[in-house]
Amino acid sequence: MKPMISEDAFAVLLAQTGLPLSTEQKKTLHGAYGYVEQIAARISGPRPREVEPAMIFRAGAK
Amino acid sequence: MAPPLTITEASSLIAAGKLSPVELTQDCLERIEALNPVLNSFILVTADRAMADARAAEARISKHGPKGPLDGIPIAHKDIYNTAGIRTTGHSRLLEHNIPEKDATTVAKLAEAGTVMLGKLATHEFAMGGPSFDLPWPPARNPWNPDHFTGGSSSGTGAAVPPGLILGGTGSDTGGSIRGPATLCGIAGIKPTYGLCSRAGVLPLSFTLDHTGPMAWTVEDCAILLQAMAGYDPDDPASADRPVPNFRAEINGGVKGLRIGVIRHYHEVDHAVGEPTRNALDDALSVLQDLGAEIRDVKLSPLADYAACAWMILTTEAYAVHEPWLKSEFNSYGELLRDRLALGGLTRGVDYVQAMRRRRELCVEMASMMAGLDVLVTAVQPNDAPRIDEVPKWAMFEKPSLMAPFNVTGYPAISVCTGFGPGGLPLGMQLVAKPFAEPLLFRAAHAYETATPWRTRRPEMKVEASGVA
Repeated sequence: MKPMISEDAFAVLLAQTGLPLSTEQKKTLHGAYGYVEQIAARISGPRPREVEPAMIFRAGAK
Repeated sequence: MAPPLTITEASSLIAAGKLSPVELTQDCLERIEALNPVLNSFILVTADRAMADARAAEARISKHGPKGPLDGIPIAHKDIYNTAGIRTTGHSRLLEHNIPEKDATTVAKLAEAGTVMLGKLATHEFAMGGPSFDLPWPPARNPWNPDHFTGGSSSGTGAAVPPGLILGGTGSDTGGSIRGPATLCGIAGIKPTYGLCSRAGVLPLSFTLDHTGPMAWTVEDCAILLQAMAGYDPDDPASADRPVPNFRAEINGGVKGLRIGVIRHYHEVDHAVGEPTRNALDDALSVLQDLGAEIRDVKLSPLADYAACAWMILTTEAYAVHEPWLKSEFNSYGELLRDRLALGGLTRGVDYVQAMRRRRELCVEMASMMAGLDVLVTAVQPNDAPRIDEVPKWAMFEKPSLMAPFNVTGYPAISVCTGFGPGGLPLGMQLVAKPFAEPLLFRAAHAYETATPWRTRRPEMKVEASGVA
């Protein structure tokens, strides 16, 4: 799936990870990044701002 | 050599003094010697330990009788379960020489129940990357046809049970890694309720999705294994502090009157399965209906919503686990895992939080829908096992996983064999129950399993003195 992110922006994203990637590995990840964009969009649908995550901190938990 | 025994059969024979744990263990070791070169299901065979366990069981049983149904029963552990003094690798070059000092909690519990440990079983690298051909050990192969995939990541357990190399074993399930290989290898496997079985001492993949559980030839054997594995463990922060019920107490209760919901849109629309899988599932539903269950279709949010939520959580948490090694030893991972993990480094913090918010919404939806039902049914895998060299690197993106919804919600799910496809490879379905309703889940799955002929058929891998015939 072709990603929407530009190659320049993707290069910045990759650099932030600090992973020692070869050119070939970067190309492979770029090719799959479209899936990540699609998934991120699917889970970010509109919801009331007070909706909390599934994991909530419990005071006193051991 | 006689056909393999189930745990239920072997434990009855041992209790009656008609079967020796030593002979049973020797039988398994002979099968391993003959078949493992083809199946690659074991990456380490602990024959000396197994024989010592078996002799100890025999001596104990001859004096006091068996301490339970697992006394003297040979099993093995997925190689992400820590075993004290015995190499635990995660099937990865990174841990090739790793020898833990302490057993995983579930390993210790199974040993305490009297099991005989035969060794460590193949997995996808760190329970995520496979099938891989660039690791120190080859991937496990399907006993029904070794050219085909076992499913993963509990691939060695799936491959070892059908031809009787082990009577049962451990698996782990983060996105389907027990149910997937159980289905493709034609056995039973249960992902218990999140929190029922400790994960302490098991190499983590995704903290909020990881489950440990058993795999075996039958549903009842899974119940026996889970009985030993389950229970509160203060060393696992997700462990549920509640009593463990008797998982076999109502196993023969049948399905009469049970309300079964079929999530038909999952396997007919959202991830349309192949015709053999669909026909076998429809036949299975007819069996359950004939046994007295009330069957009706139900609807949930699209499968892709659950799968997206699962992928975002799994990959981000897995990246958090592996980031230090990825930065220092990136190329020590197999290609499949390092590429899959690296994507997790590209997700944003806000995406993870949004996935966790969506998770809560999906849990509420599932609970609301289950309020009027006892059991859910859908497919596990879209088809029978593909060839082992035809599994795409990004398969998880191409179609949403049919198993992920029950990792996202933590509901218990068991896969059972529903027959065989045209090429003789197994098919399956999964049954799902409310959290901590494992006794009812075993009851429904056992009713189906014992009403159908699939447990009478084992793969035709003949064990000869000189190897595989």
